[in-house]
Amino acid sequence: MCKTTQMYSPCMAMLAAKALFCLLLGWMAVPAWALDGTQILQKVDRNLEPESYEMYRTLINIEPDGSRKEYLLYSVKKGRDKIVALFLSPASDKGRATLRLGENMWLYIPSVGRPVRITSLQSVVGGVFNNADILRIDYTAEYNVESAQEEKDTYLLSLKANTNAVAYDRLKMVVDKKNLLPITIEAYAASGLLIKTLHYSGIKDFGGGILRPSTLETDSPLYKGYKSVMNYLRIKKREFPDEVFTLNYLPRIEDLRK
Amino acid sequence: MNAASGFWRLCVCAALALHGLAQAAEEPGIAIPELEKKPFEIGGYVELKQEDFRLNRGAPFYELNFPDQSGRRTLDRTTGTLQLNGKYTAGIGTFNFLTNSDITRDQTTHDHDNKFFEAYLSLKPNPGFTLDAGKKTLNWGKGYAWNPVGFIQRPKDPDDPTLAREGYTFVAADFIRSFEGPLQTIAFTPVLLPVSSDVNNDFGKTGHVNVAAKLYFLYRDTDIDLMYLGNGSKTPRFGFDFSRNLGTNMEIHGEWAHISDSQKQVVNAAGQTSLQLANISSYLLGLRYLTEKDTTYIAEYYHNGPGFSDNEATGFYQFVDNAVAQYQTTGNASLLQRAQSLSQGAYGRPNTMQNYLYFRVSQKDAFGIVYFSPAVTLMANLNDKSFSVTPELLYTGINNLELRLRLYLLNGSRVSDFGAKQNSSRLELYARRYF
Repeated sequence: MCKTTQMYSPCMAMLAAKALFCLLLGWMAVPAWALDGTQILQKVDRNLEPESYEMYRTLINIEPDGSRKEYLLYSVKKGRDKIVALFLSPASDKGRATLRLGENMWLYIPSVGRPVRITSLQSVVGGVFNNADILRIDYTAEYNVESAQEEKDTYLLSLKANTNAVAYDRLKMVVDKKNLLPITIEAYAASGLLIKTLHYSGIKDFGGGILRPSTLETDSPLYKGYKSVMNYLRIKKREFPDEVFTLNYLPRIEDLRK
Repeated sequence: MNAASGFWRLCVCAALALHGLAQAAEEPGIAIPELEKKPFEIGGYVELKQEDFRLNRGAPFYELNFPDQSGRRTLDRTTGTLQLNGKYTAGIGTFNFLTNSDITRDQTTHDHDNKFFEAYLSLKPNPGFTLDAGKKTLNWGKGYAWNPVGFIQRPKDPDDPTLAREGYTFVAADFIRSFEGPLQTIAFTPVLLPVSSDVNNDFGKTGHVNVAAKLYFLYRDTDIDLMYLGNGSKTPRFGFDFSRNLGTNMEIHGEWAHISDSQKQVVNAAGQTSLQLANISSYLLGLRYLTEKDTTYIAEYYHNGPGFSDNEATGFYQFVDNAVAQYQTTGNASLLQRAQSLSQGAYGRPNTMQNYLYFRVSQKDAFGIVYFSPAVTLMANLNDKSFSVTPELLYTGINNLELRLRLYLLNGSRVSDFGAKQNSSRLELYARRYF
């Protein structure tokens, strides 16, 4: 305690130094976590997919009685926020193509003959996956890391959408510490409602240094008993010109397949 | 035939659909096709449709179409359709085709039709340039039910706007450039469309090579198109459209078109016709809104500049009454034939008047059933207050099978847009199997 006026100045100086130290520690600690979380998320993005790639995957909707509807999709992506998906089967959906540029999304249906704007919360396939899931861009393009917690074998990242145009307002992502790949992601609406949970599994070597989960399952309290699954069949690094990611090119996406 | 036979046909249609459903249900799963691209691909669908019309006896179009069968109350129509689409790719070239064949039969007539909706060659040396030559459907405009800027395309059927339509024969190029910054894309599509007695002869006056073009921008997340059609088979016209998302669940769009020297043939009650020339504008404003519970609302207001006013439409209906009266009292069919001829033109087209409202509500995965989408569509003529209401049930849960049941209910006075139609209601069921 500081009892004398002689002692006042050094005592105050000590208190000030302690306060400054605490402030400095706090200042360093918060951005250190935020920085770590952001770095973890950036690594998750790159570990899941290269920045530019082509991909084949199936999307299966499973109903409570076990009946299934299955789609085969060809996707190409460039940069953090340009992606196209083309439906190769079933026959009823063949030729449909969806394009996403940031928060802009369009759907091309051959019989309609022109792309129409769609929104991220819609679903072009029905079931639990919506357009934002099917046309997923980098997490770091849509979310900021609010907090990161270190558990025994995992990190828990709390993500907040950086605009209100993003499909899910908040994500809670459990990331495997060892390979920096997501294990589960809970997606919440702005109201706090849990919209769906995504489960990654089945780590597979796709070649070209791509080692990532081959299966993504989702369920939702809004679709009790229903389940949707994405199986990743092939992922390959590939570069594309920007003109591929335009409305005029959307009807011709299949020309990119080899 | 009567309503009972119509019901029987509906049952047959439903049974066939269920047969398809059962077959599909027996399939253990879909085999994943090979991932490699094939040079030749073919697909399509076969559809069986049954329609039961409740005729609107006394309505002008009923009198025109059934002048000798004034006792007929119902009409049952069965239509079988086969659509084939395919393409052959070699190098930078692709040949694409889309055929449409249908057979229609009802108590008064039977008909069949085979057409190439599309047959064209595409050369694509790089993603930024494409050259198309042949018959192709262009779809300009952002409207869901109508496209006033669709200068070189056949009009949509507003009752079924997503149906494939026959194209025109032309040569078109497509240049695309992308950029970083607020202006993300520019695309330019010039078109040369010849019209002669053999090619595109229903487009307009023959003996012209029509020049058209579209310039597209994606600017600050807004789609913007500028369209132009030069003087030739039709009078010159230009316009624009736009579309933009307002958040994760709302989209707005609009179109505006200006037509110079638009021609309109108007008939009065006495059968005298006059040709009106005017510079007119058509426009459309619409939105699409999705709720948290996956209910989609689509609303559009459409002003049809070349459309008929109340008085002009009434003049035509009165002329039809006079023509039918003359035919029934004297047996002289000259006026009736003239009225029938006019009804094949602008007077008989859908949405032929000036101001319309389109409103559609659809529910995805209704009652917890995935792929089950009920919807209700309202189309109203804001001039004469007549309207149609169309509830429908759509199920697409069986692989490659689509089932749709629709009931069209038309309402309005007998001299109004929807009240003058030959039927007051139509029940439609189709089963469509894709392959």
